[in-house]
Amino acid sequence: MKRKDLRKPIIVISLVAALVILAPLVAVTTSCAPGAPGMPGRAKEITAKIGFLAPLTGPVAGWGLPGLYGDYIWAEHFNAQGGITLSDGTQILVEIVPYDNEYITEKALTGAKKLVLQDEVVLVQMLGGATAAAAVPFMTDQMIVSTTLLPSDLTPSTLYHLAPIEVCPFYNVTGVEWLALNKPELKTFAQVAQDDELGRPGMAAMNASAEAAGLEIVYWELFDPETTDFAPIVSKMIASGADILSWGISYPDYVNLLTFEAYNQGYEGQLHSCTLDFYDAVIEKTSVEFMEGFIWQFPDFDDPAMQEPLNPYRLIEPIVFWDDYQEDYAGTWSAVSWEYQAQLDQWAQAVIAADSIDPMKVFAAWKRAEENDIYHAFGKGTWWGKPFWGIDNAFMAPWPVVEMQNGKAVIVEFRDQLDWWERNKEVMVKWNMDLDEMWWQRMGIDMESGIKMWGLEEEFGYLLE
Amino acid sequence: MELALQQALNGGLLSVFYAVMAIGFTLIFGVMGIVNLAHGELYMVGAYVVWLTYAQGILPFPLAVLAGAGIVAGIGMGMERALFRQMRGNVLMGAILSVGIIFILQAFVATTWHVGLMKNIPPAIRGSVEIFGAIAPWQRLIVIPSAAALIGGLWWFLRRTKQGRALRAAAQDPEAATLQGISINRVGLIAMAIAAGLAGAAGGLMAPIMRVDPYMGHTALIMALMVTIVGGLGSVEGAMVASLIYGFLVAFVTGYFPKEIASPATMAIIIGALLMFIMLAVRPRGILGRGTA
Repeated sequence: MKRKDLRKPIIVISLVAALVILAPLVAVTTSCAPGAPGMPGRAKEITAKIGFLAPLTGPVAGWGLPGLYGDYIWAEHFNAQGGITLSDGTQILVEIVPYDNEYITEKALTGAKKLVLQDEVVLVQMLGGATAAAAVPFMTDQMIVSTTLLPSDLTPSTLYHLAPIEVCPFYNVTGVEWLALNKPELKTFAQVAQDDELGRPGMAAMNASAEAAGLEIVYWELFDPETTDFAPIVSKMIASGADILSWGISYPDYVNLLTFEAYNQGYEGQLHSCTLDFYDAVIEKTSVEFMEGFIWQFPDFDDPAMQEPLNPYRLIEPIVFWDDYQEDYAGTWSAVSWEYQAQLDQWAQAVIAADSIDPMKVFAAWKRAEENDIYHAFGKGTWWGKPFWGIDNAFMAPWPVVEMQNGKAVIVEFRDQLDWWERNKEVMVKWNMDLDEMWWQRMGIDMESGIKMWGLEEEFGYLLE
Repeated sequence: MELALQQALNGGLLSVFYAVMAIGFTLIFGVMGIVNLAHGELYMVGAYVVWLTYAQGILPFPLAVLAGAGIVAGIGMGMERALFRQMRGNVLMGAILSVGIIFILQAFVATTWHVGLMKNIPPAIRGSVEIFGAIAPWQRLIVIPSAAALIGGLWWFLRRTKQGRALRAAAQDPEAATLQGISINRVGLIAMAIAAGLAGAAGGLMAPIMRVDPYMGHTALIMALMVTIVGGLGSVEGAMVASLIYGFLVAFVTGYFPKEIASPATMAIIIGALLMFIMLAVRPRGILGRGTA
């Protein structure tokens, strides 16, 4: 080949090579311009993904889906306000990544794996119960922080599993005690709930509270979660002659149907429940008069008592959150509508304190609640739980007792859960042991070995004597 | 005593509900030799029609129930014409097809109206009446005459009309019926419309009392299946007798079984299933059935 023939390809190759070499330089030079991403002068932006692993369909959806709606509102406010800026200028925004576990254990584990490994979430929010038992060991191995509404999930091995807002069913002791104190004419108590990881610990806590308050427990039953007709169950409760009928921690749909059956069968006594979700629908099926005085434990956020500065570091004022929620998701307000977003308030405070979104750094900051200005939605809280769940991962704060007054939820009092515990811990432990709900029973290990293995003799030594 | 009366009342209501469900289920098997496992989903669609019409204020309750029965009867006729007709007499293939229909109907309802929360349906008649010390809610009481009217109407149709006699003839001996000039296709279509209509009516009547969601048909189907087998596959009279047995059994076991041993509601289902197994072992044709289950 002649030299002249080679000239053309050499020129082309040289041009291509020059382009390849120069392109990154051009890119770097361009990016050095003021305001370009990655350089001083313009903050780096990171979207922290929050996994939402809860039932969005099925009978337990009432304790998942409304919480997701609340999270969406929180994320919208958080991002609109510019998120959090870390000390290195990194701007943190959030994205909620939902996964419907249908309250099925296998789906919960699959969802946890998807959220952690594929979506790389920094926090997983869960309802808890059976689904947490399935998914939390995996998340603990992955050192991912998870949250629950049910501290009855907690055991000494659930290291990074937190109950930062709802300490269900622990706070239920306050509702039953309030009834006994404020309506002394009520002497007898009957409770039903579905037989599962939600209903059982609730049965134990509320029966413990009834016993401690001097109420006679005349009937209690854990019914099949597949029950469709509640008439025979309510007939039995009414026949027991109870002054108080309690639905314990029954699913939202079941509370609706149980209340309707009580109304149908002419019951005129006191009604009580952990939750009374979508209560407008229940009133529609019964009447304002029938529902008057119903006691449960979840407030509306337009309640005057909620407008107090209970948490000075909350992102959204309760009345604003309530209005946004009613505007975007009317008719779906439930016990959990505000709870998951209230967890995010705490997470955001922990991110600021940790100056990072790394789950373990955030976890450490979260646990130092007092020094990092981390508050509960209902006020100042304390990490507690070792004497009952074997681990201090439940954030305890005063909890409201709510009464139906003229068709509207009204907070009648905030009561101290730990004060109740100090007075009545033996009866609480007794009922939980009777229903196999203490942490060693849930872990399937012998009590003595469990207490010794986890070094909890100080807390539970009295049971070994 | 009051509790016994109350549970008897609860049992009476359950009996008529089971009867309406099981009669439709057994009718399809008797005439077409098809075990329609999607019968529970037809019941679910009836409940949804009542939610869409009555609960949204479009129709009064009785008309909403009739609309539910009519729409579900139409769906049943479509199922017969498009699917079951080709599988007539083939129990296995018919059952497999009906499983497919279960998924289609559940998915359609779930995606169209979402699964999330139970559909809230207010009672048509509020309040209750006292009968010998037991409290009978009007919403439950109206189910009894409504169901009785449906069953009575079906009885009259089967015994007194030409089409009804043709239907019975086809159920007894399809070949002989064909030789007599009876159109089996037409009879199958009518049977399916009646059966589906009954399921739709049951769903509509029970909607204010039960949890209405896309998966509500499951439990109803299990009870219909047990009642049909104990009553005798293909026997309308047998289904009625077995419905009475099961209605009272469920109410009284739920009411009186000691909860310390097991959940009474769970035991009611277990005892019901045991009764079915015993019937299959001792008298496979059921109480009033002609063939074996």
